[in-house]
Amino acid sequence: MFDTILFIFAALAAIVGGILTISVKNLMHACVFLLLTLLGVAGLYLTLGADFVGVIQLVVYVGGVVVLMVFAVMLTSGSNAQKVNRFGMVKIPTMGNFRTYTLAGIFAALILMSIIKLYRNVFSMARLEKLPEYYPTVSKIGHSLVSTHVLAFEISSVLLLGALVGAAIISRPKREMR
Amino acid sequence: MSTSNLDIYMPILILLIFGVVLVSATLLIGKLIRPNNPSPVKNQPYECGEDPIGSAWSVFNMRFYVTGLIFIIFDVESALMFPVVGVFKDLNDIGMGGLVFMELFLFLLILAAGLAYCWRKGDLDWVKTYHTEKGQE
Amino acid sequence: MNQTVVSYLLQFEPIKKLVLSLSNLLGFNAISIVSFLIFLIVILIVVGFLATVGGLGTYAERKISADMQARIGPNRVGPYGILQFLADGAKMLLKEDIIPTQSDKFLFYVAPMLCIVGVFGTIAVIPFSSGFTILNFNVGLVYLIGISSLVGLGVFLGGYGSNSKWSMLGGMRGASQIISYEIPVVLSSLSIVLLSGGLSFSALIGAQGGWPHEWFIFHNPFTFIGFFILFIGSLAETNRAPFDLPEAESELVSGYHTEFSGMRFGFFALAEYIEVFVVCGLATALFLGGYNVPMHLGGDGLIGQVLQVGSFVSKTFLLYYIVIVTRWTLPRLRVDQLMTMCWKYLIPIAMFNLIMVGLWMWLFDGRSLFTLLFKSASVASGAGH
Repeated sequence: MFDTILFIFAALAAIVGGILTISVKNLMHACVFLLLTLLGVAGLYLTLGADFVGVIQLVVYVGGVVVLMVFAVMLTSGSNAQKVNRFGMVKIPTMGNFRTYTLAGIFAALILMSIIKLYRNVFSMARLEKLPEYYPTVSKIGHSLVSTHVLAFEISSVLLLGALVGAAIISRPKREMR
Repeated sequence: MSTSNLDIYMPILILLIFGVVLVSATLLIGKLIRPNNPSPVKNQPYECGEDPIGSAWSVFNMRFYVTGLIFIIFDVESALMFPVVGVFKDLNDIGMGGLVFMELFLFLLILAAGLAYCWRKGDLDWVKTYHTEKGQE
Repeated sequence: MNQTVVSYLLQFEPIKKLVLSLSNLLGFNAISIVSFLIFLIVILIVVGFLATVGGLGTYAERKISADMQARIGPNRVGPYGILQFLADGAKMLLKEDIIPTQSDKFLFYVAPMLCIVGVFGTIAVIPFSSGFTILNFNVGLVYLIGISSLVGLGVFLGGYGSNSKWSMLGGMRGASQIISYEIPVVLSSLSIVLLSGGLSFSALIGAQGGWPHEWFIFHNPFTFIGFFILFIGSLAETNRAPFDLPEAESELVSGYHTEFSGMRFGFFALAEYIEVFVVCGLATALFLGGYNVPMHLGGDGLIGQVLQVGSFVSKTFLLYYIVIVTRWTLPRLRVDQLMTMCWKYLIPIAMFNLIMVGLWMWLFDGRSLFTLLFKSASVASGAGH
């Protein structure tokens, strides 16, 4: 019974957080709701039995990405100018034009179709009465990272190096010779 | 013994909800017993007795963001290292310790090279010094 | 693999009988409900204990600092002033809650809650004893590091939401300090994980023994340095002096919690003092042998559990005392000194430690310095290879 409760809480956090993130006007509040969404996703990982991925979600996303977003929002506080479109209505940035909505609709339909196709098998299967036995995933991930996927492990460090150097270069202040 | 093997996450959920409930309940109870006399002077942000000029939500320095960026990289690096160091002892017992140590060393070496690059280029300095005549804090 | 308090308590006959009788009463397996009730009761006990520790921490700080400064400190409320924290709590509850008009009410509400939730979440994995750990998560160390980063977010949002320049500076410095010092903490914990072979606290503590020479701090010289890196990093994570720039009392009025009055400030303070206990507990569990009792006194029964709790709590309180004394001894670091120390000193040293501990593990099969020096004869004739 608790797995249902945990799933409901995690799903509620993820969905409510997601909806509030995109609909709240204040950007800093949106970051707080993004935090709620990411906590919900971590809970969802836990319900799936991926305990290590769930706590890594906590460490990396909640502890790092949200802090970074909050810093970025603070550093780039936008202007408060009201933009008015040709009908005299105040232009809210979430309002798109016709092209936006058509493209968005097409893509949404495509994604929905592919999801339904993928999960048609899942919906036709019989429900599992009991979840599979819990086994810790950390040692499996560790064993595979040093034996089967060691190249991925090392290349990810190169990728991180690239990200580090790129971020440092982009955020370096421009040196102007005056 | 348990009906669902997710029962182990019960205390985490209980504690998180308990934290939220505790804060909300205490503030609500306080609202009933607190005095509430707002006045314009009291509602100003404190600036040692002077009137605050301008909003504090102005653009700040880049160094905080650079720190955050470098932190994220090292955070992901440590997240990747956790499973490897978790199995290091078991693999050491069966003799594969040298191989795992080499892999870990290579991983850390590449990231230490990144740290050294940032250090050398001055991204870790809190007070950035330009190479022009204009210094900035 | 994951043990909880419930699975420990289910060894005892009365609890088993309770579960059976409830199952017969309700018709389905009542283990979930019983686990929920047991968790709730144990959580309430532990939260109460930690809140008292937090409150007494404020009292202890004032008394110890008074002792160091040749004055008396609080001695009016209760015998020797022990009930001072209760009086402070009641005072904070009764104070007017002033929210500046230009500040962000939502963030004013969320920031203390994030700090409290972040600290309460860590309570679930604190290893009080082998049986009374609420949840012996098999990735407990990563979970503790992850959930305590919510506190950094709370600090920043508190500073940002106040719309005051002092609070903004304090919040930003606090957040960048907390995230920067998380890395040396993680790197030194990784070197301990190398030695113990698991991410759960029971594995980390189980690899140590009761006597001091079996603790990880004396395992090899690199873990000795690692302890100090962890300790310094934890001081910075909890915004304690000499790293208390975010709440620098003489510079920023009160930093990120300047504008928070009454109980909102109380939550920040409570979260800080409980977090000091939690990080001291982390340092104890990782380096000082955790809840191990010398010679396994008391065995696995209830007496052994109580002795283990006593061992853990006493070592943590010793570190707590050192944290308090450090605050009133060392001057505050400047912000650029702080960041320089983290990125240019602690992180390279911690990385070097990690590599060296791995090398030690490989070369010496994970034997400690003590074993190598004094027991190499017996080990060489035994099963060593």
